[in-house]
Amino acid sequence: MFVPSSRLRPLAALICVLPVLAQAQLQDGDLAERLFRTGERAYATKAFKDALDAWQQSLQASPRSEFAPGILLRLARHQVEIEHKPDAAMPYLDRLRSDYIKAPEAAEGLLLRGQLLRKQARRPADLKDAMAEFNRVIDLFPGGPSCAEARLLLGRAWRDQGQWSRALQQFLDAFRLHSGSAAAPQAMLEAAETLDLMGDLPGCLRMLQRLRMQSPQAPEAQEAAWRMAVRVKHRLQKPPFRNDGPWPAGQLKWLKTPTLLALAPDGDLLIFQKELDRAFRLHGNELQPLGPAAPGTVAMLADPAGAIWILTRNGLLRENVAPQPLGALGAISGAALDRWGNLWVADAKTPAITVFATEAGSRALASPTANALAPLPTGGVVVASDADRKLLFLDVEGQPRVIVPYGKDLPGPFRRVLALSADGVGQVAALVDGGDFGQGVVIFGPDGAVLRQATFKALGVNGNITSLALDHSGGVILCDRRNDLLLRLN
Amino acid sequence: MRFRPLLFIPIFCATLWGQDPALKDAFVQAKALWATQGDRENATARFDSVVAALASKAAGLEPEWVQVLCESYNWLAILDDRSAQNKARTQVRLQALIDLNPDFELDRAVTSQRLLALYDRLKGEKYALVKLSYTPEGGRLLVDGKSSALLARQYLPFGTHKLTYSRAGHTSSEIVLDLGLHDVKSADLKLTRTASTVTLYTQPSDVEVLLDGQSMGFATGRAGPEAAFLAIKLGLRPEDLSAPFVIPQLAPGKHRLELRAPCLRTKALELGPEWATPLADRTIEPIRMDPSRGTLSVSSAWPGGEAFLSGQSRGTLPLASVPVCSGSYDLLVRFPLGAFFRRITVEEGKTLNLEVRPKPRIAFLGLEGGDFTGRARFVSHLESLGDRLQQLAFLPARAGESAANALVRLKTSREAELVLIARPVPDKVIHQVELTLATLDGEEERLVVKPLEEDPLGSLAARLNAVPLVQRPGLGFSVLDLAGEPGPWVLAASETALKAGLQVGRPILKVQGKTLATAQELQEALESVKEPVSILQEGGTTALPLQWEALEIPLGSKDLCYPALLAQLRLQYAGAKGDQANLIKLNMALILMQFRKFDKAIELLRDARLTAVQGVSQGTIDYQTGMCFLQLGSTYQSEAMQAFRQALKYPQATLLGPDGPQVAPLARQALEDLK
Repeated sequence: MFVPSSRLRPLAALICVLPVLAQAQLQDGDLAERLFRTGERAYATKAFKDALDAWQQSLQASPRSEFAPGILLRLARHQVEIEHKPDAAMPYLDRLRSDYIKAPEAAEGLLLRGQLLRKQARRPADLKDAMAEFNRVIDLFPGGPSCAEARLLLGRAWRDQGQWSRALQQFLDAFRLHSGSAAAPQAMLEAAETLDLMGDLPGCLRMLQRLRMQSPQAPEAQEAAWRMAVRVKHRLQKPPFRNDGPWPAGQLKWLKTPTLLALAPDGDLLIFQKELDRAFRLHGNELQPLGPAAPGTVAMLADPAGAIWILTRNGLLRENVAPQPLGALGAISGAALDRWGNLWVADAKTPAITVFATEAGSRALASPTANALAPLPTGGVVVASDADRKLLFLDVEGQPRVIVPYGKDLPGPFRRVLALSADGVGQVAALVDGGDFGQGVVIFGPDGAVLRQATFKALGVNGNITSLALDHSGGVILCDRRNDLLLRLN
Repeated sequence: MRFRPLLFIPIFCATLWGQDPALKDAFVQAKALWATQGDRENATARFDSVVAALASKAAGLEPEWVQVLCESYNWLAILDDRSAQNKARTQVRLQALIDLNPDFELDRAVTSQRLLALYDRLKGEKYALVKLSYTPEGGRLLVDGKSSALLARQYLPFGTHKLTYSRAGHTSSEIVLDLGLHDVKSADLKLTRTASTVTLYTQPSDVEVLLDGQSMGFATGRAGPEAAFLAIKLGLRPEDLSAPFVIPQLAPGKHRLELRAPCLRTKALELGPEWATPLADRTIEPIRMDPSRGTLSVSSAWPGGEAFLSGQSRGTLPLASVPVCSGSYDLLVRFPLGAFFRRITVEEGKTLNLEVRPKPRIAFLGLEGGDFTGRARFVSHLESLGDRLQQLAFLPARAGESAANALVRLKTSREAELVLIARPVPDKVIHQVELTLATLDGEEERLVVKPLEEDPLGSLAARLNAVPLVQRPGLGFSVLDLAGEPGPWVLAASETALKAGLQVGRPILKVQGKTLATAQELQEALESVKEPVSILQEGGTTALPLQWEALEIPLGSKDLCYPALLAQLRLQYAGAKGDQANLIKLNMALILMQFRKFDKAIELLRDARLTAVQGVSQGTIDYQTGMCFLQLGSTYQSEAMQAFRQALKYPQATLLGPDGPQVAPLARQALEDLK
């Protein structure tokens, strides 16, 4: 019988063990796939726990299997989309980035990680990490399906930092290099808005028209239609105001002391009726109550998701969110929500604007005492200060970019601004009173130039107008508290 | 008596001359040597040479040569019989003659009675005489299935024989004979007429004959002297006519006779009922076919094209009024790059003018890999892909050639601009096939399809057929669709349009008298209008000239196949000039940038010069050049800056198209980033 020498024994043992090891690896790979598929089936039937267990087991059984990147991405997505716990998603995305950067799933993972980092950002400087992830997607997966989305998000990040040209470059690349991608219509819309911010109104309008022609069925095309219409009407056509009378047509004495107006992102009008102490959404000709009763309401806003924010003397009220006190602000005169989700609040007795971050505390921005606020598409807000008799167009850091003295380019100065309203594309409507001008409406462009104006006397408006809103058709809705109705100026 | 054979000499000379001169000379000389000089030895030698030449191939000889051979045996038998030395061979000669043709009659004028008797005795040992009569004559006789001459007397070997006699328009007749020693039998072959026949001759021959739309065959060959009287009427010789073509069974009633041949005008004849009844054999006057030709002109802006009509080269382009037989052809024009293919019909007396441009050729290299469910169906889809392509010429895979070999061949020969390879995606069970479509320079796209889906190549075919424009007609103004406006609203206009009276800020009510509601409708209308285009606005009508506006092709679209597009543009470039050529270069460069071949893109852009300064113009080219240099890294930073500075010189330059975003702010930002 042959007996191997002592030097050959380890080699012989290795030769014997190799097939077993190979078989074991094969079995592990097979098991990883089966568990991955089991997880997929379970997830499709919304049996999330079973699915997550199966995927975790798959990762444990074969941490380096070809299914691992896909599982990590799925686990992260689940935490974001179902559990709404972005922090819990991060470890999966970190692992996907560090261990599987070459895997096709890494593109989506990096993109998701960038989106989560973007959501965490509260100011432009916080966007650095998110932008790095978007750039990674663009550099590592230049032709991949996530690239268009990454360019779009990178463009938004540049825009939020006030870098219009860089933002425009990314938006253009997002639809120019990825035409037909899902992100293309959004990128075109953003490019159009950025062109307007850069002062190229014809370029903006052409881009909106291009969007409507290239993606007529996309929701962005509807958005483009009204954005184009209001720009043309207010900035190019500038027809004299005409009083269309009660709005909706024929509706007289149908409200109970309306005092505040706001416009939801979808174009529906939000009305606060003081006698009912409640906000309502006007959808078509139907009024739908919104949120809880809110006595003492002084301001009403709509966030980008369409949810209503009500500011009362006691604090901030939001649906499904606990009331939030607003510190020592006792005479709130106006409020606005910026793109970052920060709430800017003006107090008639405080020579500053208080900015409340979504989750952090608040900070005070030096400002003259403000009477009214409205958000701007640049990320900042416009502030009316009766004390200084000026309108201040502030950037995202609270620095004034444009200052418009009350009455500039008007037949006479006004004394007070009772309310401000912005239409989301740069125009600001002011409800003014007093002075030589008297009570009326003035519409300002993004550069502070007067676009349209009229006095109520000239329009034949007799009532107690307390608020206003710019609609998506280029009209102005007025809230007549005395006559319990709305009026529309066209 | 010695001079009588001389009489035969001219006859043979006439019939055999021209077929095999040496052999015929030997035969004629042999007869002359004996008949005129009595030179038996030399005559025997020459007859022997004739026999030696013909005997071995007797079974395949023409009747004339069989006759020569038979006569040679006859003469040799006579000569041998008169020679003491060769007398013994006499019987051999006669036996050979009988074996060759038992029906041959010895020349009684020169053959002795003794030899005649010997001949009859020898024949009677193996053959029996059959006396035949044919009613009507002129039919076809088959003896044991083999064609036989219509003879009144015929010797047949002992045994059973089947005689079949047939004639067009008649029933056939069949007789079986059992023949033995000393038998002499008679056979009356009578036929009954069943239909009329029509015989026709055509000039020229090789004409297809159709009766009531059904092909009856071709009138071929040459007519014999029997057709002389018909030919003379037309001023022709008999051999100018085809051999008689017989329509054997002409049913009662009217008939349509049609004669077709390439390059000849199709002739149609109506045959009235009198041609079928009463039953008879009838002959139509010879039908003279007239030539039928048209002319073909083929030209191309692309150089170096060679035209092939149904596979036959007709020379290099241009073809100017080349006479061509009327009919349908496959026209193929091979260019140094690409090819043009179309099935054309040249009509008699008409000129077909074609302006052709090459189409890229896509060569299918085959489906690699092993078997999978639905493979055969998938292969048939691949093989018929060419039928669905409008913009490409499809070259099928060569049988037995591997994809790798085919690729090497194509790279060498440049017979195609694009290649398509199909490979199953490896898996436990194959459910997907990856299609790789690439240019020969390596720009490629991959598409994964499911072989079992209803139309697995539908999306590929659609993408290959989609060719976006690099230019579109425009009027020098831009419009918006605004709610409440009766037509496209004019946002801005060129100086020309403004001078012509177009009003900015007002809607367009009508274009060429037609109401248009949207900017899309306006653009579609411009595709087909002729200039000047009348534009109606509230203030009046403006007439504007059409102008071609440059476009950048959309990139990254799933509806387009970029390798194919690149091949298309390369061919278009070969036939383009001036701004159009440079615009094509710009678009080729854009595609190369998509494939991240920035160095190649720069090569194209560097040479491109557009005279336009507005819209997609020279500023666009400079900006894209800068973007390419940026992608090449910091080494080319100065070149990138130079390009962006150049772009800034064209403040009206745009990306995408005339209504696209301006290049200047982007170039300015790029320069700032590079500082």
